[in-house]
Amino acid sequence: MNTVVRNLRVVRRMTAAEIAQQSVYRGAWIIFMLANICMPVISLLIWRTALANGAKLPVDERYITTYFVLLGFVTMATSSWMAAFLANDIRLGKLSSWMVRPASLLVKFVANNLSEKFLKLFALVPMIGIVWWIFRDSMNIPADAGRWALFAVSIVLGAVLVFTIDILIAALAFWMDDVGALVQARVIIASVLSGAVVPLALMPAWSRGFVDHQPFRYTVSFPVEIVAGQLTGRELLAGLGIQLGYVVVLGALARLVWAAGIRAYSAVGA
Amino acid sequence: MTPVPALPPVIAAHDLTKTYTFHQQTAGLGGALKSLVKRKYETRLAVDRVTFDINRGEVVGLLGPNGAGKTTTLKMLSGLLYATGGELEVLGHTPSDRRHDYLRRIALVMGQKTMLWWDVPAMESLLLHKDMYGLSTAEFDRNVAELAELLEVEHLLNVQVRKTSLGERMKLELMAALVHGPEILFLDEPTIGLDVVAKARVRSFLADVNRLRGTTILITSHDMDDIEALCSRVMIIDHGRLQFDGGLDDLVRTAQPRKLVRATYATPVDGTRLAGLDGVTAVDVDGQTVKLEADRERAGVVMEQLTRLGPLVDLDVADADVEDIMRDLFLRRSTLGDAS
Repeated sequence: MNTVVRNLRVVRRMTAAEIAQQSVYRGAWIIFMLANICMPVISLLIWRTALANGAKLPVDERYITTYFVLLGFVTMATSSWMAAFLANDIRLGKLSSWMVRPASLLVKFVANNLSEKFLKLFALVPMIGIVWWIFRDSMNIPADAGRWALFAVSIVLGAVLVFTIDILIAALAFWMDDVGALVQARVIIASVLSGAVVPLALMPAWSRGFVDHQPFRYTVSFPVEIVAGQLTGRELLAGLGIQLGYVVVLGALARLVWAAGIRAYSAVGA
Repeated sequence: MTPVPALPPVIAAHDLTKTYTFHQQTAGLGGALKSLVKRKYETRLAVDRVTFDINRGEVVGLLGPNGAGKTTTLKMLSGLLYATGGELEVLGHTPSDRRHDYLRRIALVMGQKTMLWWDVPAMESLLLHKDMYGLSTAEFDRNVAELAELLEVEHLLNVQVRKTSLGERMKLELMAALVHGPEILFLDEPTIGLDVVAKARVRSFLADVNRLRGTTILITSHDMDDIEALCSRVMIIDHGRLQFDGGLDDLVRTAQPRKLVRATYATPVDGTRLAGLDGVTAVDVDGQTVKLEADRERAGVVMEQLTRLGPLVDLDVADADVEDIMRDLFLRRSTLGDAS
């Protein structure tokens, strides 16, 4: 049987089991998602107030509103929390029980990621729906189904990109005793450079070249911009090309680092 | 008649070597700060040019004190660790390549690590293995039924793993490891922490697996009862080197070439003259009981002398306990190692 097919079957089995396990904690998911949507809504209210008081911004109220309404969903859909857990598995030798089985070592984390996102969607979508309904008259809602399709593709690429960055950071645990500080640094840097805190469109003009082309933009901001912004067809395709390029390059790099790391794995404990 | 060619060994290790590099840090804040600036790296030789072959269907015990290198050897054989030097071939593969065809044919059970999903019934983990190893439904059902019966765990398959006892969990671990029918089973301390009943069940199961399926088993254990019950051959590793490779009987004969004899008489006897006998050592006379150690070759003569001492009520002749032999062996080597 083909390796990819076998791994996909394993992921499907594990995802189903993870959903069954985690659905027990439905209260926790609602609280998680409430927190997830609170920050974008608060930011939205602050920026709308600023605009109402005459603040001169490079984007209009419709862009800001659409951006923050979609932000919670995109942030959740592209997020990954595996770096610390994977680094821990490497450091404590927990990778061993997976290494002696014929499946990718990452299936566990892929399944966990997919199952949690599936459950979070149930909690998050109704909340976003309410916010959407409240602000529906001041949002950019593309009528073109193609743009929504590209939005979906971009979210998937963004999720793969975040996951790949996490693998790269966690793989350093093969050589370093603790990558906790790196994981934390990634979270802080990514929250700013991905546009999760402030829309990248509001960044200073002198930083545009860097901000527009750095990888974190393609993990959150770019998918949101596809719907909220006025990206031309050419900008959209170029953006998707850059996003795909980051996925391929960082994916290849992660594979190299991971392969080198496995050689250095010490399988501590038992 | 055409001679039947000998089957190649399923495991062939030649000069297998593994070194670890690690840094040392003095305890306390000073040590921590110092290690920020300058680190002292050291290399430790964990396995030192070990050479052995294991044939299909053998059950081999890998023994040694803590830190001797036996678990490192097991990890290299199962593909968890890259060897630093030497050659290693298991089932025709280099284990560290971790090819699917290799991993499909082996299993590793670590007594202190779990393969099972903690929060769901064991059946979920078994079904995961069905997908992972590409088993057909018929093959899976047949294997599950056979293993569940041998291990007597039919009633546990749909119970959350975290709600099972340690002994039950180990049985389920073994089941998960064997559901795909591996040709080689690597076991690292499989009975650690189990009670006597559970230990006996696990040993009996492993013996059945070896007998019925012809599975080659390589086991590390500190419990000599495991080794005595299962292994026809033992390999002793100490300070990373293979110190002994042979049958358990050979080990006993080599390490403890004397028999332990205990004779009980109806009346007090004078056993002191036995001390002068050729091949007899450590005579202990306590009224009606005489205890002594005699060379194997001289045991017959000693027995005869004992019958002449007085009215014999009971005579017990035994080999030294394997546990005691191992302890003496490791202590001796440790002392020699410290001295050198």
